[in-house]
Amino acid sequence: MYGFEAMTFNIHGGYLEAIVRGYRAGLLTAADYNNLCQCETLDDIKMHLSATEYGPYLQNEPSPLHTTTIVEKCTLKLVDEYKHMLCQATEPLSTFLEYITYGHMIDNVVLIVTGTLHERDVQELLEKCHPLGMFDSIATLAVAQNMRELYRLVLVDTPLAPYFSECITSEDLDDMNIEIMRNTLYKAYLEDFYKFCQKLGGATAEIMSDLLAFEADRRAVNITINSIGTELTRDDRRKLYSNFGLLYPYGHEELAVCEDIDQVRGVMEKYPPYQSIFSKLSYGESQMLDKAFYEEEVKRLCLAFEQQFHYGVFFAYMRLREQEIRNLMWISECVAQNQKSRVHDSVVFIF
Amino acid sequence: MMEDQEEKGNAENGIGRQKQVKDEYLLQFLDSLDGYLTLLDSLSSTLSQGWLELASARHAMGASRINGALLDLKVHAAATSLKVSEQDVDSMESQPCFTLCKWASSDNGERSSGEEKSLSPQLRHRNNSQLSGIISSPVSFSHFFNFFLSCEEEKVSTRTGTPLILVDQQQRQKSLSVFGVLVSPKLRSAQLSFERALETLVEIANLHTTMLSMFEQVHKELENTNG
Repeated sequence: MYGFEAMTFNIHGGYLEAIVRGYRAGLLTAADYNNLCQCETLDDIKMHLSATEYGPYLQNEPSPLHTTTIVEKCTLKLVDEYKHMLCQATEPLSTFLEYITYGHMIDNVVLIVTGTLHERDVQELLEKCHPLGMFDSIATLAVAQNMRELYRLVLVDTPLAPYFSECITSEDLDDMNIEIMRNTLYKAYLEDFYKFCQKLGGATAEIMSDLLAFEADRRAVNITINSIGTELTRDDRRKLYSNFGLLYPYGHEELAVCEDIDQVRGVMEKYPPYQSIFSKLSYGESQMLDKAFYEEEVKRLCLAFEQQFHYGVFFAYMRLREQEIRNLMWISECVAQNQKSRVHDSVVFIF
Repeated sequence: MMEDQEEKGNAENGIGRQKQVKDEYLLQFLDSLDGYLTLLDSLSSTLSQGWLELASARHAMGASRINGALLDLKVHAAATSLKVSEQDVDSMESQPCFTLCKWASSDNGERSSGEEKSLSPQLRHRNNSQLSGIISSPVSFSHFFNFFLSCEEEKVSTRTGTPLILVDQQQRQKSLSVFGVLVSPKLRSAQLSFERALETLVEIANLHTTMLSMFEQVHKELENTNG
């Protein structure tokens, strides 16, 4: 039974919870977004961001700015904040914080392996990796020819090692195998994170269960929609869905056989929390689905801050910052491409 | 006197016919110019749409999944090629005619080795600096044009009975597979937009040669009139 966390949480987690709540206060507001959406050039965006916490990270960037530069510098701020929290954290919070970055680690592994398959330079690939997902031996990934070697040479000493048990084959790495590897790893990671949070118990278990279940369900929908019309079989599709979440197991059975977006809608509308998401879309349309999911996610992440003495606030803060960086990326692209009328297509306001 | 009148009448008819031919050339020139400007406008909006859809796909899938560092540098022939042939306008001159052969369709399923050689050295000479800028900037369309031309060639033929539309779909998926097999529908929309832009470019090129040819004709007629 939780409720006694109030007595002991602050001993080890109080300082960092205060820190993360302070960080949360620095998130961009609706007024900031309104100013940014009215910018004519990327230099205007830089000027407006100089008055925010991103100011010190962008001030030394020369003109002309590029959209990737803005995203890179804003990400650096997130990385600095994360590292500050990680170095101050004790167990089990430190393990919880590390779990948050495993998704980026998986993305980096797949980026290096795919780029190597396409005969790209390793240094160039390393520059594109997400800083939160870096680990020491990541460059050695370029040497592996198949998944067995990938595991044996590099990943056995990383936190991703336990997730590889379902992926290890001697098959050569090709685009399909890499995609299946990506999704299988992510599925194993989410399930492991879920079990870890359940073990922590209390408010952390309750809040994180909801957030991770939503993530698993959203993944299932995205895998379904993205695999429509591809060579991925129904069985393979089903194997990529996580073994938890609101859609597990009956929703997954129905999603596995969907052949178009309207069938996906038919499945999802049976679940009340997702009915509101799909009601925003017109029939046959999937363009606004991402935004609808992001909006629902932001709502749930903001609710995590309404309760104290749990680790969910750290996860929520990291995800809200990532959403903010996505917003800045979209606004920058619309400004750079002179398409300001489309800026509200994908910006999700956090406050 | 009758003969003089007849000659005068013939001369007037000749002048009238000449004027008609001149007007015809002028109208054709103006028509082609109008079509050219319309297509330029259409190209501009199709490209804008394509770039925005690409940014949207990047927003949905993440920058690590859609970036220039994933493009394939392995040597391979293009699945889409441009054929230039000479078309006879009249007995005196010919003008180039551009034809787009998309996604290794049955028309060019058995491409000659000479054609392949002419295509692949150009692909081999692409360098990293060109490619890295492709996804992150809408500036160099010609580089992104190369990306959609560069795809591993498959000897697909309608002799197998596979409908061409499915062949095209398979080739499109293959082209996008550099970004992964499970890609967002937004990325597929971006691909279709750039494909449409490519078709429009070829139409513009053809209309451009027609326009220049008409302009030459009009110019010639004016010179004949003044001479």
